[in-house]
Amino acid sequence: MEKSFIIAGFGGQGVLLAGEVLASAFMSDDKNVTWYPSYGAEMRGGTVNCQVVMADGEEVSSVNKKEVDFVIALNDLSFEKFLPKLKKGGMMIANSSLVKEIKKRADINYIFAPVGKMAAELGNVKMANILSLGILAKASNLISIEKLTVALDSILPEHRKHLLPMNIKALETGFAFCPVAAV
Amino acid sequence: MTTTLNKSEGKVLIKGNYAIANAAVIAGCQCYFGYPITPQSEIGEFMSGKMQELGRAYVSAESELGAINMTIGACSTGVKAMTSSSSCAISLMQEGISYACSDELPVVIVSVMRGGPGLGNIYPSQGDYEQAVIGGGNGDYRIIVLAPGTVQECVDLTYKTFYLAHKYRMPAMLLADGLLGQMMEPCLFGDYPYPEVDNSEWMLTGAKNRHRRVIRSYAPLAEDQCVFLNKLFNKYKVLEENEVMYDEYMVDDADIVVMSFGSMGRNVKSAVKACREKGLKVGAFRPLTLFPFPNRKIEELSHSAKKILVTEINMGQMLRDVRLAVNGRIPVEFLGKPVGSMIDIEDIVKKIESMIEV
Repeated sequence: MEKSFIIAGFGGQGVLLAGEVLASAFMSDDKNVTWYPSYGAEMRGGTVNCQVVMADGEEVSSVNKKEVDFVIALNDLSFEKFLPKLKKGGMMIANSSLVKEIKKRADINYIFAPVGKMAAELGNVKMANILSLGILAKASNLISIEKLTVALDSILPEHRKHLLPMNIKALETGFAFCPVAAV
Repeated sequence: MTTTLNKSEGKVLIKGNYAIANAAVIAGCQCYFGYPITPQSEIGEFMSGKMQELGRAYVSAESELGAINMTIGACSTGVKAMTSSSSCAISLMQEGISYACSDELPVVIVSVMRGGPGLGNIYPSQGDYEQAVIGGGNGDYRIIVLAPGTVQECVDLTYKTFYLAHKYRMPAMLLADGLLGQMMEPCLFGDYPYPEVDNSEWMLTGAKNRHRRVIRSYAPLAEDQCVFLNKLFNKYKVLEENEVMYDEYMVDDADIVVMSFGSMGRNVKSAVKACREKGLKVGAFRPLTLFPFPNRKIEELSHSAKKILVTEINMGQMLRDVRLAVNGRIPVEFLGKPVGSMIDIEDIVKKIESMIEV
C-alpha cells in the first residue's frame, strides 16, 4: 500500500515542517517514507508545498506523483493548484479561514476547517499547520496522534521545546474537529 | 540543519545532501573544499559546521577551480578529502579531474545533478551521466562513478566512493541528482564499513630521512607516458573485474528488461511490479557503478531477454553504453525526458506494453 500527501500553503505557514513531522511520524511507525519539497525560483509570498509518500512494506517509488490521496491546502492558491491533483475519492483538507468553501469537484471528499482561526484561539495562528495534521490523522486513519507527537518532539530544536505542549493541544484539537474517520 | 549528526543510533529522517555529508564525515573525510551551488549546497553547509567541530579542515573555496585543486593538494598528503558541486560547476573542475587521474590521487567528488546545458536550472536531471563517466578533461582516463537511487544508498555509496578511491588510488565520483539531494528518507549510518587503505608508500609527508617523492602529471618522454597509461588502464581492467555493482529485480525470466540509473530506478521498479501483476514478464536492472559499467551482465541479459528499455532523465546517455554492451543482439529502446520529475510509473508501463505488442 502506498499513500501520498501534498501539504501546501504560503511561505511561512510551516508546510515543509508539517510534512517533515508527518514523514517522521511514519518513520517511527516503521513505514517507508519519502519527503520532497517544492524548491525552485519561488517568489516571496508565493506557494510552498511538499509531498510525503508513505509505503507499507515496500520501498517508496516516485515522489512527484501525478495524483495524490490527500491534500492539505492552507491557502486559496494551494487549494486551486492542487484540487486537480487529487485522485478520485481523495481527500481535500482546506483551511476555510482563507479558502472559500466551494466544492468544485464532486468525486473527492472535503474537510473545510478554519484551522487558522482555531490555532489562533489556541494561542498562536502559526500552529495551523500542526492542527491540520491532527485533522489528517483522523481523516486518513493512517497515523496516530501519539506518533505525530513523538515526531514533533524529535524535530523541535531545544530552544523550541517549550512549544511542544501547545502543539500537542493543536494536534488533539484538529483530531477532535474532524467529523469522520476514513473508511 | 540544526542537529549535529555524525554517528547516530537507529534510523534518522534526513535529506540526501546531509546524508552524503554526514557519511563523508563518518568515512573519515579530513578536508572539504567547496563552493555553493543548488541543489547541493546543504553538503557544504553541513561540512562548514561539522568539520570545524571535529577539528578537520573546511575551506569555502573562491571558485570550483580552487576547490578541485585544493582537494588534489590535500589528497597528495594521503588524507581523505572531498569536494562537492553540481553540473555546470562540475564542468569547471574537468581540468582538475584529468590532473587528479594522472597524479593518481584519491580525490572524492560529489556531483548532484541539475538541469543543463549551460547554467540550465536547479531541477533534477540525469544529464551529466556522460560528464561523469566520459568526462570533459583531456587525455585517456576513467574515474570511478557510483550512482545512488535512495537516501540510504547515498550513505552506503559515499562510504564506497571513499574506499574505492583510496583502494585504487584514483578519483571517484558520487553521482546523485537534485531529487535525491533534496528529499528526506529514513536511513541508517552505522560505522564506516571498509578497512583503511595504507597510503604510506606514496603520500607526501616531507622528505625527512627518506628519498623525495614526486607527484606530478608530466612525463616528458613518450615511452614513459606509454608505460604510465598502460599501468592506469590495467587498473581500470581490475576495477571492471572486481568492483562492478548493480541492482536487479526479476530479470531471470524477463522478456523485457528495463534499465535505469540513480533515482529513476525507483519508478522503474514500481512499473515492473505493476507489469508483473498484469502477468507480463518484465524485470528491472540498475547499475550502481557507472564506471566500471556492468557490460558483462548486460551482455548476459541480452541473451536471455528479448528487448531492453532504457529510461533516463536525459535525452539518452546511459543508452549508448547499454547499446554497446548489447552489441546489436536485441532491440534497445529509450524513454526519457530532459529535466524535472521522474517519468511516471504509468508512462513506463505504457511504453513496456507498447514494446510487447509490436
